[in-house]
Amino acid sequence: MIELVRDTYRYRELIWALALKELKIRYKRSVLGFMWALLNPALLMLVLTLVFSKIMRFAIPHYAIFLLCVLLPWTFFAQSLSYAVESIVSNGDLIKKVSVPKLVFPMAAVVSNLINLFLSLIPLALLVPAMRHPFYWTWLYLPVPLLALTIFTLGMTFFFATANVYYRDVSHILQVVLSAWFYVTPIIYSLDFIPPNYQWIFKLNPIIYVINGFRLSVYYGLLPKAPSIIASFVCAFISLFIGFAIFSKYQNDFVFYV
Amino acid sequence: MPSNGIAIRLENVTQRFRVIHERHDTVRGLFSKLFSQQSSYHDFDAVKNVSFEVPKGEMIGLIGRNGSGKSTLLKLIAGVYRPTTGKIQITGSLAPLIELGAGFHHELTGRENILLNGLLMGYSKSEMLEREQRIIDFSEIGDFIDTPVKQYSSGMYMRLAFSVATEVDPDVLLIDEILAVGDAGFQQKCFDRLRSFKRAGKTIVFVSHAMSQVEEHCDQVLLMDKGSIVATGMPHEVIETYQHSMALEVVGAH
Repeated sequence: MIELVRDTYRYRELIWALALKELKIRYKRSVLGFMWALLNPALLMLVLTLVFSKIMRFAIPHYAIFLLCVLLPWTFFAQSLSYAVESIVSNGDLIKKVSVPKLVFPMAAVVSNLINLFLSLIPLALLVPAMRHPFYWTWLYLPVPLLALTIFTLGMTFFFATANVYYRDVSHILQVVLSAWFYVTPIIYSLDFIPPNYQWIFKLNPIIYVINGFRLSVYYGLLPKAPSIIASFVCAFISLFIGFAIFSKYQNDFVFYV
Repeated sequence: MPSNGIAIRLENVTQRFRVIHERHDTVRGLFSKLFSQQSSYHDFDAVKNVSFEVPKGEMIGLIGRNGSGKSTLLKLIAGVYRPTTGKIQITGSLAPLIELGAGFHHELTGRENILLNGLLMGYSKSEMLEREQRIIDFSEIGDFIDTPVKQYSSGMYMRLAFSVATEVDPDVLLIDEILAVGDAGFQQKCFDRLRSFKRAGKTIVFVSHAMSQVEEHCDQVLLMDKGSIVATGMPHEVIETYQHSMALEVVGAH
């Protein structure tokens, strides 16, 4: 764990440069380039707002905001994993030629998606007043769930990136896991929709606490209760400890398998 | 740490590779492995019990036929592989020039790659920005520096890679055959720079099949065969041994 903090600090400029490189390549050859990071969520919002306010009328007021305030963090989580799972394998050429700490690759994938998440929060912040939804002061609380989510995501990326070095099936399995995980997490619905005697099953889902933090602060203008905040950080650090322990155990052998 | 003027020290270094006959990198492969009892791999030592020292300020040549373990040895010194057994000690900073533009990303421009390459070698952004102009000047890339490197010729690639690796001023420089690319003029410039490197007390490990280059520039030559060092000494002697063994083999084959 000390190694993680030390190497992250020592190679912070490299991680940042790799993250920017990833974004640059993602938006390369598109006319609007970097603007897509803003446009993508904005257009998604437009569609969601139209669908849910004009066509499908839901009992939840301002459903677009209800959905987006957790869909955007979820997208960060899912995209980070999808990019990071391949990060060691796709940088195999480099790993075979230069001695470089392997952790920079999954880290860069997470950082580049974190930049994307920040950019996508801008259209959300514009949508809130546009839909005449109150702009709550609890937005200021967002850095807390953001931190917990980033730690949780990092741990998961370390695990999946390692597993994919040995079994390339992992990246395919991951896509199935992510879509199943999406539906068992209260993103398009609320936990209140679940009958009370089944709710405990949903509460075994480690990402639910951090997701809850985003929705409470943006949509309801409330702060999560202390046990929920603690649970979100406990899940985050368990993920990081296990994920990084596995990663650091195998990282010196990556060069033989990529 | 090695002291008294030793830049590189290898002690009984062995690098073992596991050669997998049938790759089990899918889940189906894993299952078939579980149910079949026969072993599907064998081990072989690409580098076998190698020990040597390189004093500071020397240029050492590494020769041998293809597959003799030269590149594996170079990657061991570069820290790409951790040796299976044995110890490797390096004094000071190290710049590997192992393959043409390893660490260059072809969608990025030359300028962006200078920074990325430097960061990969462990230098800071400010150190790289400070050296950027000198790297561009030496590489003779000119206005192409802001063009994506995928449009570069292999000579331009090599010039940029060589400029980055030498301009960062490492204590130990590793070069694997890349000087074969590039025109005679630039090659001359490269060897001039290597000479000034040596004068500044820096150490160079040079892998090449160009015996004339090895003989002209190296102070000491190691001959490798099947993972072991079979001869060490003055360039002309070791090169003669090598060429003699090759000639014998040709005769033997007839």
